[in-house]
Amino acid sequence: MKSHKYILQVVLLSMMFPLAILAQKTEDIYRAAGSPHNPKVQISFNKYYTAEGLAAISKKIADAHPNLVKRESIGKSTEGRDIWMMAITNYKVGDADRKPGFYIDGNIHSNEIQGAEISTYTAWYLTENFGDIDYITNMLNDRIFYIVPTINPDARNNYMKAANTGSSPRAGMIPLDDDRDGLFDEDGLEDLDGDGSVTRMRRKNPNGNMIVDPKDPRMMIEIGPDDVVTAQRYEFLGSEGIDNDGDGRVNEDRPGYYDPNRDWAWKWQPDYIQGGAYKYPFSAPETRAVADFVLKHPNIAGAQSFHNSGGMILRGPGAEEDLSTYNRADIAIYDAIGKKGEKMMPGYRYMVVYKDLYSVFGGELDWFYGGRGIYTFTNEIFSSFAYYKTKERDPNQMYNFEKDLLMGDAFTDWKPYNHPTYGEIEIGGFRKNIGRATPGFMLEEELHRNMAFTFYHAFHMPLLSVDSVKEKKLGGGLTEVTAYIKNERLMPTHASQDLKYKITRPDYISIKGAKVVAGMIVTNEDFGFTEEQKMNPETIEVANIPGNSIVKVRWIIKGNSNYTIIVDSEKGGVVSNK
Amino acid sequence: MFKTNQPIFKLFWICMCLVSVNTFAQSDYRTNNELTNALKQIKSKHAANVKLQSLTKTVGGHDIWALTLFKGNPENNPAIAIVGGVDGSLLLSRDMAVNIAENILNNHKEILDNTTFYIFPNMSPNASEQYFSKLKYHKLGNAKKTDDDRDGRINEDGFEDLNNDGLITMIRVEDVTGDYIKLKEDERIMSKANAKEGELGTYKVFSEGIDNDKDGNYNEDGEGGVHFNKNLSYNYPYFKPGAGEHSVSEKEHRALLDFLYEQWNIYAILTLGPTNNLSNPLKYNAANAKKRVVTSILKDDEALNKFLSEKYSKITDTKGAPPAKGKDGGFFEWSYFHFGKLAMSTPGWWAPKFKGDSTVKAKKNYKANFLQWAEQEGLSNYFVDWKEVSHPDFPNKKVEVGGIAPFVMTNPPYSMVDEISKKHTDFVVEVTKMQPNISIENVTTEKVDNGLTRVTLNIHNKGLLPTHTEMGKRSRWLRRIKVDLKLNSNQEVISGRKVQLINSIDGDSSKELTWLIKGKGSLTIQAGASHTGTDSTTINLK
Repeated sequence: MKSHKYILQVVLLSMMFPLAILAQKTEDIYRAAGSPHNPKVQISFNKYYTAEGLAAISKKIADAHPNLVKRESIGKSTEGRDIWMMAITNYKVGDADRKPGFYIDGNIHSNEIQGAEISTYTAWYLTENFGDIDYITNMLNDRIFYIVPTINPDARNNYMKAANTGSSPRAGMIPLDDDRDGLFDEDGLEDLDGDGSVTRMRRKNPNGNMIVDPKDPRMMIEIGPDDVVTAQRYEFLGSEGIDNDGDGRVNEDRPGYYDPNRDWAWKWQPDYIQGGAYKYPFSAPETRAVADFVLKHPNIAGAQSFHNSGGMILRGPGAEEDLSTYNRADIAIYDAIGKKGEKMMPGYRYMVVYKDLYSVFGGELDWFYGGRGIYTFTNEIFSSFAYYKTKERDPNQMYNFEKDLLMGDAFTDWKPYNHPTYGEIEIGGFRKNIGRATPGFMLEEELHRNMAFTFYHAFHMPLLSVDSVKEKKLGGGLTEVTAYIKNERLMPTHASQDLKYKITRPDYISIKGAKVVAGMIVTNEDFGFTEEQKMNPETIEVANIPGNSIVKVRWIIKGNSNYTIIVDSEKGGVVSNK
Repeated sequence: MFKTNQPIFKLFWICMCLVSVNTFAQSDYRTNNELTNALKQIKSKHAANVKLQSLTKTVGGHDIWALTLFKGNPENNPAIAIVGGVDGSLLLSRDMAVNIAENILNNHKEILDNTTFYIFPNMSPNASEQYFSKLKYHKLGNAKKTDDDRDGRINEDGFEDLNNDGLITMIRVEDVTGDYIKLKEDERIMSKANAKEGELGTYKVFSEGIDNDKDGNYNEDGEGGVHFNKNLSYNYPYFKPGAGEHSVSEKEHRALLDFLYEQWNIYAILTLGPTNNLSNPLKYNAANAKKRVVTSILKDDEALNKFLSEKYSKITDTKGAPPAKGKDGGFFEWSYFHFGKLAMSTPGWWAPKFKGDSTVKAKKNYKANFLQWAEQEGLSNYFVDWKEVSHPDFPNKKVEVGGIAPFVMTNPPYSMVDEISKKHTDFVVEVTKMQPNISIENVTTEKVDNGLTRVTLNIHNKGLLPTHTEMGKRSRWLRRIKVDLKLNSNQEVISGRKVQLINSIDGDSSKELTWLIKGKGSLTIQAGASHTGTDSTTINLK
């Protein structure tokens, strides 16, 4: 008996120490390709985190990798939360804020949550793979990533914790008077049945136009004009809620409403033209924090924002009226990256906002590109393709998926409720965490593929070098020095929008330690065509160093050849030949 | 009786004289400090009707003052906002804004019974100080460091006072490659040669200074700053000098707009600035009004603008205002196109046209005509005679400095300011008499049956002005007129709505509402919006 007791104790003990903990030992792990195999920071990527949860994780990442991460708050949200940013690079190489920068944010729309997890996954992946995977090591030697997992922390929490559908609140949390009656946010949604989500209300009505699907009681079928119906008829009464202010309307003045993605300064328009605009560009504190950060970091050359849903890789222009802002040279670069994205993210399509989605003013990607000359994409995470990995559309696929693969975890069955205005009704429907938010078991893949897309984009930011230097004696103690400055990636140091408006200054190519008699840009080396720069010839100003190309500058110097050539570009970084 | 030669009286008279000197000796525009002191004096003299607050401090360290004139709770009355100094070179606008406040308090205090005023005398305090500095020139920007020519260098090419007269005027360089000539009517004025008229250019003309950075442009990047009237969101001029990096980028812009957006009682904004829709009302253009991005005044508002313009011209006794183009990124333009309020704007003054007589013929050119007017008025220092200087950029050429002095064409001699301010006060008073004013009229109650009462009434706008401009009907920043039945627990609406929102009511117009109400006792009905005034009535159910 004693020995039995002993065995029982061992069994109980082993149950108390789950396998996960024992598996921390490296010898117990077999490396799966493409994932950090022994990370310092353990994070589960099959769930979502509140603003506080994200903040705690980013702190863990920063604490574990002090030479790779500087974490700072770029501002405060409406409700006073910090907006945390992780600046990730190899701080031991070069001047961090002078490296070409790649900006990433998520969650501008509060209910579009995955972007925060993609951002967090990206920070985790970069830091855990540095020194292990050359691609990542080089990336952090040459580039800096500015990652802001959520730029809408207040409303992210509201989405998760308060009464919401999968599509609300979308806005930030500044109260606004949506119905112009002098009251602010006085009539929002209610979770009447207490299931944690705002679902739908229906009522039995002999003249209703819906019936319950006899094959699946979760579903409602619309009655056609020729249908002969003997079953109980229903009418829909909208999202769960009551008429809080007694004005005869239900849920008409919810938290917000303004749209943080109509708050950006490129071609901004007021609310009567562009629904969702707030007071003026960057009038919401969260977008203002991002704008101020970007204005202080002219090294940002590429950017990505994450939304949901629909499986889209979006570029501007947002508004049809802004078509002329995007010219052919820049579109070619967008196309190259966007089309690569379609391959990397099955089910995602590369699209243009104004013609493939809707024509809209004041979006984030438009300001990044139009206002700052930064090549920027917005991804709409998750689409119905994911349910059965097929483009074939089946109207019932979400119901089937919920049953087949989620085991019924995302639907509240219809139950009776006594409503103060509508009387006896029924409440039920899909909960807020399905439809837009990627289900847990598919999340890590979604995060990884989107991250890989941003890496491809970041890889193609300008990468400059002094490729070679040629000297030619001119006699009389003069030497002609020609420097070949190379940009070996797709993006130029100045997008054509940047060149058009001189958003960032010219690139400076300098010769230091030589007595300079004259300086010039070589426009045609073979025929000897040059453009002389009379003022300050030591520092030749070139408007642009295009992608995959070489720019040639030349000096006539007197005396010794012990000089250094330095290239200083706001978006291309600083390099020298020594 | 006391004799006036008693010492105490002597002292009294001396004091009075000193006070008079302080009050009336003002002979030139007031500096920021003087204006600030004037505001503080207004506040201390009329403490019960005045609130003075600083909205923010600009990057240059200047306060942006907001003066509220009110009686009772300021938010209980419809309000007019008056904004001066949107253009830092229009000194009149700042002084006039303060004068209007004083005039209202001293001579028209009764209008505060029905109207609140929010007055912002100077939105460009950094720029306007240039008038009082050693070197005078039209400055429009704040103290933000800006790279006006976007070449990567900041403030590398400002003005130079080549003739040491303390004014920035022009330089002209004799050069056959230039495209300017002397104007025939008045050779002091330089004008563009017109090749179609057979004219050949003989001068180059630049602003006074040297090309410090040798880029071929003169004075293109001095202490520019962000211009208040170029940084608002309507037709924002992206990346133009003075526009800033994006619209509404500066503290003073955000502070003013945040204030205005949250003052729901404002129905009208009077901009004292370069645009003049009070003399030259905006014209409706159907195509531009119907586009998604509206760039024409709307049809109903065109008529309203015309109506106000006629009042303005009559009351201020002005005409012949030079046409002023709308300003990209301008404040007045914002106040109408983006805010939707009743929007009025005037520079307050322009040089009247010199008409000439039998001996002196009026000149056609605007500047030449201005010089004739200035001469007639006996102004001094309005023109700097051309004088040869040596110029480092043109070592072998004849270079002269001269031209019309800064400020004189857009700011009247200070002696005119009181009278101009008085007339503009009269106009403002007239607007308050016409302002939207919601009242409940013709209340009738009928007994329908036992415990059931029919209530009928008119929601009436007693003002001549509509409650909402046509643009304002679209704006989320003007509330609808709310009619609210304050029901007791034993009262129930059988027909009609407990809360009803009305989009707008035209001037001198009304809307009839009717309800069937079950229950007994008294019932209060309230109607109105912050910017239209509210009214309420209590009835007894039958």
